[in-house]
Amino acid sequence: MDADRDFGISGIDDQRMDKGPRRFQRRRTRQNLPDYIDWKDTDYLRRFVPERGKIMPRRISGVSAKDQRRLARAIKRARAIALLPFVGD
Amino acid sequence: MADKRVYEVMYIVTPETAEDDVTKLNETLQGVIEKEGGSIVKLENMGRRKLAYEIKRKTEGHYVLFEIEGSGKEIAELERRMRVNDAIIRYITVRVDEDRKTAEKIRSKRENRRTARNSGFRPAGTVEDEMLAGAAESGVEKE
Repeated sequence: MDADRDFGISGIDDQRMDKGPRRFQRRRTRQNLPDYIDWKDTDYLRRFVPERGKIMPRRISGVSAKDQRRLARAIKRARAIALLPFVGD
Repeated sequence: MADKRVYEVMYIVTPETAEDDVTKLNETLQGVIEKEGGSIVKLENMGRRKLAYEIKRKTEGHYVLFEIEGSGKEIAELERRMRVNDAIIRYITVRVDEDRKTAEKIRSKRENRRTARNSGFRPAGTVEDEMLAGAAESGVEKE
């Protein structure tokens, strides 16, 4: 039944088979975040919150997974006290 | 519960409140905290600020920030007071001592690594000396 497969000889693997996770190209190289992310520092946090008010995905910002969690927590705290918007203009 | 915890408490007072009344309110809450055994590390009146979104039809508010050291008991009382007070339209309490400690740990670890790389380990010149010696030996052998 696999008679038509050529075991990758003709480079069939180069075409996306719509399987597995989609790979994204990082927009920026690895970002270094401070050891302590201050939830009160809105000027800093705003860099990760575009106009729409959403938290920037790390595939674009280039932040590590751990840092993204810390960042998200800080942004959510700032939102709770109206320092940052839930929805932007 | 014996250990000291550090909290940051921020609250927003309605914009209609006069500056003096805000100060008065701060003093009252300060008294509450101290009575419950907490100590104030910092009291910062951040002044009038625009809110990022409307709260109770208000677009502005007086922001006040407390930094408190204590056991957690005074926080319970403080939060209760803030909830009851109509002038306070929003408050938030964040425990910061643990996050600060991890931040300090990361920082010291990085510093240790840097000093290890720059000094210690190998006395200066050793690498070059060894390489020269190795080159000389192999040269001799080949000839």
